[in-house]
Amino acid sequence: MIRGLWTRETVALLTVAALMPLALFWIWFGGSAAVFRLALVLLVIAIWQLVFMLSRAQPPSLSLLVTALAIAMLAPEGLSVFQFVLGISFGVVIGELIFGGWGRNVVNPGTVALAFLGFGFPAAPWPVFDTPLAWAAIPAAGLGLVIGVMPSALVLAGLAVGAIVATFGLVSDPVLFAAGIVFVLLVCDPVTSAATTLGGWVQGATYGALVVLFGGAWSGAAPPQIAVAAALLSSLAAPLFDDIALRLWVHRRRRRYGRS
Amino acid sequence: MTFFRSGVGLIPEFPSPVEGKDLVDEITEEAGLRPPSDRNLHLTALVKEGEHVARGAVVACVRQDPDICLVAPIAGQVGRISRLPGRRLSEIVFFREESGGTQRHDTAVAETERGLRRLLQTAGFWPRITRRPFGGMPASREVPAAIFVMATDTRPYASDPRQALVGREAAFLRGLAALARLSKGPTFVCWDRTTTMPAVSAEAGDIRMVPCGTRHPQGSAGIRIHQDFPAGLEAPVWDVHAEDIADLGDLLETGELPMMRLVRISGAGLREGRLLRTHPGADLRQLSRRIVAPGSHSLHAGSHLDGQASRWLGHRHRQVTVLPNMPPPPRSHWLLAALIETARPRPAIPTAALGQSLGGALPAIPLIRALGAGDDEAAMDLGLLSLLEEDLALADYTLGAGGDLMRQLRAMLDRIQTEYDA
Repeated sequence: MIRGLWTRETVALLTVAALMPLALFWIWFGGSAAVFRLALVLLVIAIWQLVFMLSRAQPPSLSLLVTALAIAMLAPEGLSVFQFVLGISFGVVIGELIFGGWGRNVVNPGTVALAFLGFGFPAAPWPVFDTPLAWAAIPAAGLGLVIGVMPSALVLAGLAVGAIVATFGLVSDPVLFAAGIVFVLLVCDPVTSAATTLGGWVQGATYGALVVLFGGAWSGAAPPQIAVAAALLSSLAAPLFDDIALRLWVHRRRRRYGRS
Repeated sequence: MTFFRSGVGLIPEFPSPVEGKDLVDEITEEAGLRPPSDRNLHLTALVKEGEHVARGAVVACVRQDPDICLVAPIAGQVGRISRLPGRRLSEIVFFREESGGTQRHDTAVAETERGLRRLLQTAGFWPRITRRPFGGMPASREVPAAIFVMATDTRPYASDPRQALVGREAAFLRGLAALARLSKGPTFVCWDRTTTMPAVSAEAGDIRMVPCGTRHPQGSAGIRIHQDFPAGLEAPVWDVHAEDIADLGDLLETGELPMMRLVRISGAGLREGRLLRTHPGADLRQLSRRIVAPGSHSLHAGSHLDGQASRWLGHRHRQVTVLPNMPPPPRSHWLLAALIETARPRPAIPTAALGQSLGGALPAIPLIRALGAGDDEAAMDLGLLSLLEEDLALADYTLGAGGDLMRQLRAMLDRIQTEYDA
């Protein structure tokens, strides 16, 4: 009869809208170089989406805007075009498109691309974020929470852990800033983050704990690299957290009602 | 905790014109009786075309369970009996006659549990009960583990059950006490927390009041059942509308089962909304004749969310939705359509709206993923057996799935039922 609006493409567009504070600040500070970098990433992802549409009838998604923004903002600098395109292609194809596109992927394609670039080309310098850009992550997370495109438990857990880390000075400011930006761009992806409330809280706490651990023990790593590695591991553990949360939920109901 | 739960759910808004003030009773000139939605149901017609029947007279029975009868919603002549292949009864159409009379029943038999059950089955009350799991009517000897009486309905433009009960409180309590005798467990009365319900005496049995919020799907039977007494393969749960309980009270008092019910007509295809009292099987074309807007439109029995295109009002429908027929969207190029529109079902992206569309009662995304993957065991663990299509209608609407979710749920329930019956 009548259809609602929360389709995959609506969610992708609303996620882009939520990330606008971050994107606008980044373009403001980065200038034309940032715009060129973003356009290149968009072009590469669009080509791969076209390839998969033609070869596997897999409809393209506007989520490429979110992925492109994350990769353009966080990828190491000083890479050749070939290296950059190779990293983007690996992340988008292996992280998303071979699973059937956005909505069916297990890990965020941006996280996979950045991890590939970071581990594949360790000599390339990672970007350094200005303080205002890191602050822009907070309204972005707030918008995502209010609009409902970012998991509320995860965002609240992330904000709580961030506040604790900042209060007690558990990591340096650059690591904290990078962790905040990575959290909003990569960890809060609604598809690859935990789908249960308990899972969201645990994933947020795990991400924070990994950032603190890597920030203290991983000598020589750049702040974005630390944050991306924490995002990758917490994202991989999200299905496990969900499974545990669901088992607890089912167990509670069985104990109460005798069945679920 | 109750405070937080009262705010869960959504308030979907659909366009509909302002409603007229007058509340009239309307018996349509034609009425159609169709079997309740149950895939295994075979009915045997007990009347012939041209025969005259009283209102409430038995006209058909279930082939496998002949104690369960369907009755004529209006007094009149049997105009047409339609059958599907396999002599499966599809529809009985009645032409109204003023002098047809009303079928009366002996209520003395209702003193015993067996007699009450027999009375409900011969008087045509049985199709008003829905069982879970799997949906449809309960078998004639089925004893429910619990009964849910729905005195709230949160679907958009639903008629207010409390309005239907005004002046019928005594009949409601009488019917409630009687129905509670059929259950081996508690009877839950789900009511809108912003209204008041008639006080239930302790002698009526194990009756529990469940206050519900006003957002959908808090007043959805499946969600209430899932939260308070989940249905299981060996623990069927029934749900009945509160107005039907008042009708049961009247049946026990007078021997006649009232047929009229409060129905709301709404939708963007109308010039004016309407609230009226009519009977099951009412002709939707006649009910909406004077109030539809110019232009092509379609009639749906049910709400904006779960309505089905139909000519007749169903056994459990209390809403009619009239929608304008929109011109079909221009067809895209065949190659583009093949590339973009073949990947189905579309993936569901977890959002707050999706969680709210199931009332926060069960993990929305794991359930939808289990439905999409055909994982019966996971879905049963998550509470599938308490749900029917109408309970997922809001989630389906929210995702813009175009009915995919409800079809997946029905396919899975049918599969589980086949395995269970084997």
